[in-house]
Amino acid sequence: MIGSTTVKSSLFTSLATVSILNPKGKREKKSIFADLLLTALIDAFSILVIFLLMSFSSSGDVLLLGKSIELPKAGLGLMLERYPVIKVEDGKLFLEDKEIKEADLVAEMMKLREQFKEMHPQQEYPGIVTIQADRRIKYEQMNSIVVASGNAGFSDIKFAVLMK
Amino acid sequence: MRAGKKHLDFEINLIPFIDLLSACICFLLLTAVWVQVGSMDVKQAVGGQPASETPKKPTLWVNMGSSGELTLNIQDSKKVPAKLQKLAVKGVDGKMNFAELDVALKELKGLEPELRTALIQPQAQSVYEDMIALMDQFKKQGLVDLGVSPL
Repeated sequence: MIGSTTVKSSLFTSLATVSILNPKGKREKKSIFADLLLTALIDAFSILVIFLLMSFSSSGDVLLLGKSIELPKAGLGLMLERYPVIKVEDGKLFLEDKEIKEADLVAEMMKLREQFKEMHPQQEYPGIVTIQADRRIKYEQMNSIVVASGNAGFSDIKFAVLMK
Repeated sequence: MRAGKKHLDFEINLIPFIDLLSACICFLLLTAVWVQVGSMDVKQAVGGQPASETPKKPTLWVNMGSSGELTLNIQDSKKVPAKLQKLAVKGVDGKMNFAELDVALKELKGLEPELRTALIQPQAQSVYEDMIALMDQFKKQGLVDLGVSPL
């Protein structure tokens, strides 16, 4: 339909320049500049900018997701906040991106607690820890973290998940 | 003296505007976070306050079996009859049966609307993903205070 309309209109335009409508047969000079329809382009750009601004996250990266870690998915997770992160990657334990031994976990977490108290003497330590682990690992690998968190006074655990 | 006709149409130079929009799009595309990371909040199910200081409230203990079966055990509830205080949800093909779990939770919630706490007891071989899926399921049913117990 659109194609046929285009053909017709182009046909009539070209016919208009020939003998019947324009007996002199004088052809109009064609402009060498092509007209770009910029309005549509600007519309599309504006929509893109608005969409990207809406999905823009100003909170920054709380977690660095490695290639070897695939987080489990959850529909009703809460917004992730910044707390000390314990990561289990390839069987190794990391506390705030520093590799540690399982036996040193409690001591290292206590250190974090003391550091917080020195920096914020008026505030009570929240005692929250974020655990980042691959979705396929067994609970036995995480048990030491749960136990150590409890021993170091971190009663609240936040399991990092991907929001569905 | 006749003044020349003033041209009423004016043209806005759109090129800088397009440049600005392009720069904006590039910046936003580069800084966009495509994966939304959230958290599933739980508490330590064991430890913390002494048992005598802890206020008694209806609590659902969930034991995760090795082949997807779940054992639901409701404690500190006077509204739930004795025969429903211990329920078993069998697994399907080694996975948890969430449909049956939903039915059981709805029934328990209907009998005990105050039920908001669920404590999960995983096994050593329980998969982390299954634990999260279970927590998600509890949250859907209004059990928002979740806990996990160590082995």
